[in-house]
Amino acid sequence: MGLKFLGLLLLIVALALGLWFGTDTPLGAAIFQLWPEFLNTFQAGVQRRVLPELWDWVILPVLLWPVWAVPAGLGGLFLLLGLARRR
Amino acid sequence: MFIKRRRGWEIPESQATPEHLVLGRRALMAAAGAGAMLAPSVAKAQFWRRSEPADPWTRLPAEIPDLPPAMRNTRYPADRALSPERDAVTFNNFYEFGSDKGIWSTALRMPTRPWTIKVDGMVESPGEFDVDDLIQRIGLEERVYRLRCVEAWGMTVPWTGFQLSKLLDIVKPLGSAKFVRFETAQKPEVMTGLRQSWYPWPHIEGCTIEEAANELTFMPVGLFGRPLPPQNGGPFRVVFPWKYGFKSGKSIARITLTDQRPVSFWETLQASEYGFWANVNPQVPHPRWSQATERLIGSNERVPTRMFNGYGDFVAGLYTNLQNERLWA
Repeated sequence: MGLKFLGLLLLIVALALGLWFGTDTPLGAAIFQLWPEFLNTFQAGVQRRVLPELWDWVILPVLLWPVWAVPAGLGGLFLLLGLARRR
Repeated sequence: MFIKRRRGWEIPESQATPEHLVLGRRALMAAAGAGAMLAPSVAKAQFWRRSEPADPWTRLPAEIPDLPPAMRNTRYPADRALSPERDAVTFNNFYEFGSDKGIWSTALRMPTRPWTIKVDGMVESPGEFDVDDLIQRIGLEERVYRLRCVEAWGMTVPWTGFQLSKLLDIVKPLGSAKFVRFETAQKPEVMTGLRQSWYPWPHIEGCTIEEAANELTFMPVGLFGRPLPPQNGGPFRVVFPWKYGFKSGKSIARITLTDQRPVSFWETLQASEYGFWANVNPQVPHPRWSQATERLIGSNERVPTRMFNGYGDFVAGLYTNLQNERLWA
């Protein structure tokens, strides 16, 4: 029930984000619109205190995905897991 | 006697895969899917790591000529020991290549020849100049300047280059020109930061025409007597030694004289922290830290920061009638 609910919620969030920002808008652009200073500070924190490559090769590619893709992907996954568990 | 014949698809309960393994397999498949999406990035990272140059002075292309001899100008004593050469070329800020200080190996993938600088806007003689032609035409001198980063560290390095005013003499600014805008080159094939399309690229910096004409404003093409490496803003940059370092634009491709005050890259991103003037003042803290002292790169010694980074005799007069401006951020 929990996973299914979470999955549905994330799919609704994905739909809302897609409608609000447009289907082509990258996740990073949406974050930048909402909090212009966040990504710069976050990037500096990751690259200076953790690992530069973590930003370049993991976080940045995710930020370049359409804004709806991450919640849609996670929502779909949770929904499938929830349905599978029920069976 | 009742004999049950199992059909092909009927298997005993004991042969069924346990539920936790099925769910575990799904998680494994999900992880595999995520891995497949990120695999190209990881593979590319491995490739790039292997191709990293080991020498921070590596020239690309290798045929970049040595600089012609340049006399040191002693009018601007640094009053500090030079920073270690290796530190100066391996501890850098260049946002197009990343946020960490170790971007030098990535930046070295940027070819710095051929390189032209476009000078346009409110000038009598706009033009495009090849950097080597400019070096030959204007001639070079060496100046040892202190550099004060807004992040509260400092360096002292010998730049080789020429005064910006000498370039302005060539293009002849019109009387209506009030500001100078510096635009950093955009090389998306090597500048991974440009992939962040939400930022206001290209990187812009600017100053007033009076600041540009000041004798301290310098256009380095070299560092420690060698061609300026890209991680330090090569092949051609601007340096305002009395301002925080972020004002000194790197790898400049275009200079525009204008009557509109340029809005810089950092001003667009975080105006509260990175303003237009950004003159060094130890009494005015950054919103997140003190500017009273600075850490010297190399020795790690912490020393007091000086007003205008110690260059007040040359530049304080530029600001006497600008008391209402935010001169220190």
